Amino acid sequence: MAKLWTIIKREYLERVRSKWFLIATFFGPIFFSAIIIVPAWMAARSKATSDVYNTTILDATNTGFGHRLAVNIAGDTTIPGRMPIVKLVTPDELTQAESTATHEVMRKLRTGYIVVNEQTLAGESARYAGSNATSIADMAQVKNAIRNTILASRLEKVGLDNEKMKQLTFIPLDFSTERITERGRAGSGTASVVFGFAIGFLLYLSIVIYGQTIMSGVLEEKTTRVAEVVMSSVPTDTLLAGKVLGVGAVGLTQQILWIGTTYILLKLRTPIMEKLGVPAINFSLPDITLAAGVIFLLFFLLGFIFYSSLYAAVGSSVNSESEARQAASPLMIMIVSTGVFIQPVLLNPTGTTAKVLSLVPISSPIIMPIRMAVTGVPPLELAGSLVFLAIGCIAALWLASRIYRVGLLMYGKRPTMREMARWVSYAR
Amino acid sequence: MTEYAIDIVNVTKRYAEHVAVRDLTLRVPKGSVYGLLGPNGAGKTTTIRMILNIIAPDAGSIHIFGRSSNDSAVTERLGYLPEERGLYRKMQVRRVLKFLAELKGVRGADADRRIEEWLERLSLKTPEKDWGLSKIDELSRGMQQKVQFIGTLLHDPDLVILDEPFSGLDPINAQALKDTVVELKHRGKTVIFSTHMMDNAERICDSVCIIARGEKVLDGAVADVKEEHGQRNVALALDGDGMAGVATILCDHSLVRRADDSNRFFEIEMAPGADPQALLRRIVESGASVQRFEMIQPSLHQIFLDKVGATGIEEGMSGNG
Repeated sequence: MAKLWTIIKREYLERVRSKWFLIATFFGPIFFSAIIIVPAWMAARSKATSDVYNTTILDATNTGFGHRLAVNIAGDTTIPGRMPIVKLVTPDELTQAESTATHEVMRKLRTGYIVVNEQTLAGESARYAGSNATSIADMAQVKNAIRNTILASRLEKVGLDNEKMKQLTFIPLDFSTERITERGRAGSGTASVVFGFAIGFLLYLSIVIYGQTIMSGVLEEKTTRVAEVVMSSVPTDTLLAGKVLGVGAVGLTQQILWIGTTYILLKLRTPIMEKLGVPAINFSLPDITLAAGVIFLLFFLLGFIFYSSLYAAVGSSVNSESEARQAASPLMIMIVSTGVFIQPVLLNPTGTTAKVLSLVPISSPIIMPIRMAVTGVPPLELAGSLVFLAIGCIAALWLASRIYRVGLLMYGKRPTMREMARWVSYAR
Repeated sequence: MTEYAIDIVNVTKRYAEHVAVRDLTLRVPKGSVYGLLGPNGAGKTTTIRMILNIIAPDAGSIHIFGRSSNDSAVTERLGYLPEERGLYRKMQVRRVLKFLAELKGVRGADADRRIEEWLERLSLKTPEKDWGLSKIDELSRGMQQKVQFIGTLLHDPDLVILDEPFSGLDPINAQALKDTVVELKHRGKTVIFSTHMMDNAERICDSVCIIARGEKVLDGAVADVKEEHGQRNVALALDGDGMAGVATILCDHSLVRRADDSNRFFEIEMAPGADPQALLRRIVESGASVQRFEMIQPSLHQIFLDKVGATGIEEGMSGNG
């Protein structure tokens, strides 16, 4: 046990002390905050942009409708620069005025122009032309403003006073969405998909990075012959276990630091984003219970053991980095093909594909946590997934330890699959 | 208490393609310097790995200091220097040594103290520079070998196994290694080395075992082995001219069975029944200027060639067997 601890300690301390670990630990949370905040920020931007203020209203109604519309679009007239320009024209001058306005848009002086006339007053039609005509949010706001202004005009006609009219037509509706799961309300729908993606990506990245780390570590010990010295002091199984646990502990440390600092960064996002001059975004973080957090880490740990023991076996069977990359390609294919399913699973987390993939040990360490992030997973499925993964880990460790102890001592040419199969059958 | 440091009885190790070690019986007396000699691929490394319990024999038994080789108490009394050397490149020297010490059960302050002693002893820590704080890959090759050597001896093992210890050593480190081996012997430790360099073995070892193709060819104390192979050898050294005439004489198989020609020095094995005095007369008559003509015991190198021959050298499975 003391020797196992010695090996774990070396693997852990040497890696945690490395520059690479410090850099990754520092930039990780910034990166993850970015993948969570940027989509939310984009979503926030889909509320109309300031482009709608920079429009020209061509008013051919001769009723002051244009001015009312401008006030409606501006919303808050006390903020300078929000009032669209209103040009009063006669119906005959309209064609000429439109041509002028078009040129202004082409020269990027204005974003677009709105034409209001008799048909608009009648509630039949209005026209908009501009560079932002494809922006759904902008157009929705313009359309709403026109509707409200028409409504106000009609109310005025039936004798409602100005104050009363404003009260009745001012509807600053903020439409937010929230997802409901079996456990109840679970925060904003978009945020939880983004969160699920972040979790999946994090697990995917960690398994690839730490798997390769173990592989290079084993290869280094083999090529420098340190392995032989260590093997003369401890059994090979202890060496393998020490490596997997030591590097696993590094991974766990990093995950906890990442998740912790990302959480703090997101908690503090309002002051941080204000400092950056970006309007604060209002979205609720998905509520993750402690139990769910523990299960996430459990999936990480088991997934890590599954893949890293196989990576260790690959590292022990080859003699150079380039051979290692080739020999590791079946593992990469297993991980990458799981990565391909992240998006489909996010879109349909309760479908058959998602259910099957979260039971297979090859994909379950990545897929199951994603499903848990975006939907409620029945406890039975969760338990089944963990049991299969644990069995997968035992099988991978068994296979890996047998290849490992022979491979470490075999130099020269790269073994064929048949030779490796024979190693597995060697007694020792 | 047993008198053997290592007692190997009828050990066999097979791989799929070939038998690496066949029915090997070997006894290494305590406190001796023992040479395991053989060409590349003879089974030396496989034998060493079985002694170290890195691999298990298919048949036979191995005892170290009277205990089974898979007894974990035994491994802490062994020190091993593998043939091709290397250490964790990115690791600090002191941390590497501490790691190796802990693997052998030497911990804490005791390990630190020993590391300091060794670093000073091998000039890796001087008033000007403490290399113990450097990373392995910042050290010169010679210094790295010193560090590895410290790692082998840090836990003061009773049995030290050196696999081809002289390969790649510069003359200064080679001398330091020889001195250390002698010192270990004086302190009652047992040292085994494997080598294919017979000159070194002959000078350092008390006993040797020659193996080829996985089988023991001969073993015993160096003096006995030489004795057994008789006094049929002549050392001949020439000065200057007359080489051509001598070469013709050495080809005469009624006089000379074999001659090992090192240009101006020859080790000559006499043909059975041939008279060395007759050979001397012929050489003097040929006009050659003789510097030295001496009856000697055959060198290990000669015995090795005699016993193993060119056929004993075959490609091993691992390339360093």
